[in-house]
Amino acid sequence: MAAVRGGTWGVRAGALALLAGLALLGAEPPYKRTVEAYAVPDVTLVDQDGAKVPLRSLLASDKVVVLDFIFGTCTTICPVLSAGYANLQQRLGPRSADIRLVSISIDPENDTPKVMRGYLKRYRARPGWTFLTGKREDIDRAMHAFNAYIPNKMSHYPLTLIRTPRSGAWTRIFGLMSTSEFLEECRNAGIQ
Amino acid sequence: MRALAAALALAAGLTLSAGARRQAPQRSRAQILALGERMYREGILPSGEPLQGVVKGDVPVSGAAFTCRNCHLRSGMGSYEGGVATPPITAAKLFQRQFWQFPSLTEAERIEAGVAQSKLRRPAYTDGTLADAIRTGVDPLGRTLNDVMPRYDLSPADMAILVAYLRTLSAEVSPGVTATTIRFATVLTPDVTAAEEEALRVPLDNFIASHNRLPQGFGNRMYRSASGRDMSLSHRQITLARWRLTGPPATWGAQLEAHQRREPVFALLGGMSHGDWKPIHTFCETRGIPCLFPLTDLPVVSDTDWYTVYFSKGLWQEGEAAARFLAGRPEGADPGRIVQAVADSPRARAAAMGFDLAWQEAGKAPVKTVRLPAGGLQEAALREWAAKGSVAVVLWDGPGAYPALAALAGPQLPVVFMASGLLGPRLGELPEAARASTYVTYPFRAPADEPKFARYANSLLAGLTALDNTERIYTRMYSLVEVLKQALMDMDRSYYRDAFLDALGMQKDRVLPDYERLSFGPGQRYAAKGCYVMQLTPGPQPVLVKRSDWVIH
Repeated sequence: MAAVRGGTWGVRAGALALLAGLALLGAEPPYKRTVEAYAVPDVTLVDQDGAKVPLRSLLASDKVVVLDFIFGTCTTICPVLSAGYANLQQRLGPRSADIRLVSISIDPENDTPKVMRGYLKRYRARPGWTFLTGKREDIDRAMHAFNAYIPNKMSHYPLTLIRTPRSGAWTRIFGLMSTSEFLEECRNAGIQ
Repeated sequence: MRALAAALALAAGLTLSAGARRQAPQRSRAQILALGERMYREGILPSGEPLQGVVKGDVPVSGAAFTCRNCHLRSGMGSYEGGVATPPITAAKLFQRQFWQFPSLTEAERIEAGVAQSKLRRPAYTDGTLADAIRTGVDPLGRTLNDVMPRYDLSPADMAILVAYLRTLSAEVSPGVTATTIRFATVLTPDVTAAEEEALRVPLDNFIASHNRLPQGFGNRMYRSASGRDMSLSHRQITLARWRLTGPPATWGAQLEAHQRREPVFALLGGMSHGDWKPIHTFCETRGIPCLFPLTDLPVVSDTDWYTVYFSKGLWQEGEAAARFLAGRPEGADPGRIVQAVADSPRARAAAMGFDLAWQEAGKAPVKTVRLPAGGLQEAALREWAAKGSVAVVLWDGPGAYPALAALAGPQLPVVFMASGLLGPRLGELPEAARASTYVTYPFRAPADEPKFARYANSLLAGLTALDNTERIYTRMYSLVEVLKQALMDMDRSYYRDAFLDALGMQKDRVLPDYERLSFGPGQRYAAKGCYVMQLTPGPQPVLVKRSDWVIH
């Protein structure tokens, strides 16, 4: 009876528990894939070595470019995304030079070059993986440009963007990929 | 179960039978738990090798890049991030049945609330089913866990160590919490005045009074419902003790120990010192007691310490800002022509340390550092540096340096950097002639932008007699209260000190008085990361004008 009286709260709590349960039980749908055109903003960010990097020229590469948005003290999503980057480099071996991996910090206040270097070391990143920080408004512009804006880093979501150099088109992947799926997407973008 | 007991025995180095040889070193329970803690927190096996696991079916992950702590957090309270719910794995949660509805109620409370028959989410883990879940990702009901949970390939002995640790994880409610009360204390060093204490105490007391009245708002009808119980059971009356320290800093540790023995607290809130916070920081770190937002310009700056969460790095942060700003300017290209002059005080030295480290991180060669005499900067010294072609003087000194700056003002005066934290209320007296070439670090929001934010604090000021806020005490206590309220709510009934700090770490960024932005994250211990570099305008009523961003990259 008491439980019935608490009806709306009960339903709400139940729905929350159900959502949490779906995530726990691996019932989330496979990743969502679309092809998009993005205009990269003319912003200059700072890489893990403290060097200034114009984002537009970094991304307008002859190589396949992969881009994600992460931060150094993230709990769940970024470690999976970054393990994906690291494993992709590993699996590509010498061919990893043909791909440019870029991570843009969504916690630019905390992610200094020192923090970013430590992060890349933890994931045993090879050359070719650039971690960028910068002014908050520049980061916001980059997020907006890729339809990836989140007002607060704690509510971010897993997103990987892959640029096909030949067409300049971006494959937008919402969700987390296995390495075989990631490799397949990179092949689609032109990696041999 | 027997197999696991045997594995635990193996882990402890016990012989399995009369004929068996010892394979592992003899280990005490404390050693086993320490090894388990290292596996959980750092992802390192007893052998010293990193743990190996697999996520998303085929992505190998290892060691520090993917620890249990990453997602489940240090206390095991779990997290919700990026659409992935990481469930709690404290001992109480893992080894008890879990239900879909009202998961925070205990079995006894479920019966009392009339929800004992609600649907089971999973049975209690045993050592064996837990080992299976960690290894294969299949829970006791045969369901597959989300594949972002690594499947860890652990030997039976290593698994036994990890499971033994999980049986202790947040297993006991931390001291300072009873069924009805949560006790806090605030620490004041002898140099804090009565007026300062009042500015610190009134907002906290006002918050506590309203918090302690909350149960009156739990209507009887709601209180008797399961969800009402769920909410009201997490409520504790708050008490706040005043721990006023006396005598020299060397004796403070013992005084704090005595307070904690007499009246154990869950955590320290606020507190204040005009000197070095290190003795209190060390006490908290040693005893594992959280301390939220003490007011100090001299915090301990550490990448690894866990228990004290500061508003900022204080004077250290001002030094950092000057270094980052200068590194990006033309003068910064020539470190050989930069002089850093440091007054003989802990405050000036803190700014210098922050400068040196940030300067080094910017990849710059060290600058020449000189210690100023007891009287501070002398005109002759400044004149000499100028004559030798110095392009910038980083001057960690107080307003006593103003006459020398005034004497040299003009084209011969190099670019000068000073810290508002060392100039204090006399910042505005900077000689007008020197203002064009003097930059001041300022670790707060620009004064012109502040009034609308400072007003937030008015809601907690009833009863405060002196409204002077030069030291930004009551506004910062307001910010503390805002962050504390959220942390208590997020911590829910997990009254573990680590869960409190985990809950703080998972908070969203906040825009509150004083600092442009407070941001959090697991392990982040300095919430305000920014500091402006400013200049004063000419004229008798100078105002500060920003010359940098809040965070300088």
